[in-house]
Amino acid sequence: MSMHPITLKVNGKPHTLLVKSNELLVNVLRDKLFLTGTKYGCGIAECGACTIMKDKRSIMSCLVPAVVADGWEITTSEGLSKGDKLSPVQEAFVDLAAIQCGFCTPGMVVTATALLHENPNPDEDFIRDYLRGNFCRCTGYVAMSKAVLAAAAKMKEEAQ
Amino acid sequence: MKEFAFVNAPTLDSAVALLGELGEKAYVVAGGTNVMVDIRVGKRNGRTLVNIRDIGALKGISLQNDEMRVGALATLSQIAASELLKEKAPCLYMAANVFADPTTRNSATIAGNCAGASPAADTAPSLLALNAIAHIVSAKGERQLNMNEFFAGVNRTHLQPGELITHFTFKPSKSGFIKLGIRNSMAISIVTAAAALELAGDVVTTCRVALGSVAPTPVRAKSVEAALTGQRLTEELLAHAAERVREDISPIDDVRATGAYRREVAPVCVKRAVKLAAYGECR
Repeated sequence: MSMHPITLKVNGKPHTLLVKSNELLVNVLRDKLFLTGTKYGCGIAECGACTIMKDKRSIMSCLVPAVVADGWEITTSEGLSKGDKLSPVQEAFVDLAAIQCGFCTPGMVVTATALLHENPNPDEDFIRDYLRGNFCRCTGYVAMSKAVLAAAAKMKEEAQ
Repeated sequence: MKEFAFVNAPTLDSAVALLGELGEKAYVVAGGTNVMVDIRVGKRNGRTLVNIRDIGALKGISLQNDEMRVGALATLSQIAASELLKEKAPCLYMAANVFADPTTRNSATIAGNCAGASPAADTAPSLLALNAIAHIVSAKGERQLNMNEFFAGVNRTHLQPGELITHFTFKPSKSGFIKLGIRNSMAISIVTAAAALELAGDVVTTCRVALGSVAPTPVRAKSVEAALTGQRLTEELLAHAAERVREDISPIDDVRATGAYRREVAPVCVKRAVKLAAYGECR
């Protein structure tokens, strides 16, 4: 199995790594960079727990061989906050208790952040449609949808 | 993760050379939404991934001399957000907008959706209805393949080892698409239908109707087309013509629906796709 050198900028920090052909980005993030917010869920692009952001768009890191990500700049759930200050989406998830076991939360929060990049004024239907690839088996989505609406309102307020 | 080898193809020339060398061992990957899953579940073993994700020549959506060109690497997100396709090929635009979920759409490409050759591929019926041409390149040269001749069976196409789709072209057309899934999100279709029409007044001058998930490959509904062509498009004609779709399909029972159910709903899907094509809505 051949090894490939790659450079990868994660949450603004550059890394140089040696990866195997069949090593997935999700595993590199978790096992080599110890960014364990990103979860390995189904491994077959169904559940959304491994969602990260590239070019402000959500993508699933279980679908990306790490070698493909050579030169990429990506954001994981750890990169959403500024120091101790949570992002508006993170804060709204906390305030509105849009979390139960927490396994889906990082992927959910990353997708919600990408959602608000794409559409800063979403309505409930837009949110439900957008988050449809992120599976949660305990909270039931209502609180999450409300949290995204609250985050949108907060971001608009902050922008003024 | 299962073992696989990997090579990067940064340019079209390098991709063609690599595919020529590797032949049947090559497994082209871009967004990875099919390929990586197939590897994970052990459907494809011992292959060398050829990464074409960054080849600029395979990207973009444009209109040239009244012909649409959609690059092989156009993502479903780009198609779903394309004002050009919304106007010039609504069926493809509609299909992209019900494809999986926004995150999957950011990675999945139109050529990958076709090359995977799932009977349920969401973009396929639209490409058949649009009479789209797949432009293909290999070390031997270039060739064109009508999408109506593209699919060979479940997960099989008439692409040869060493060949790569570069782009699709088709004429703009009034068209519509509808998908019936078991739920709205992340659903693999039970039946899909696409229709592309030309009307002179209310007379159908040309029409193509295609369906997915009702046969081993996406199929044209030639009986429906014959019943509609040259006729005034009325509710009665459409009801009668749509029923004839049963002659064009051979659906099976699977985890999503029974063949009998598919036979029941296929005419409804056809009717709605034709209405969407003709009127822009299901009225």
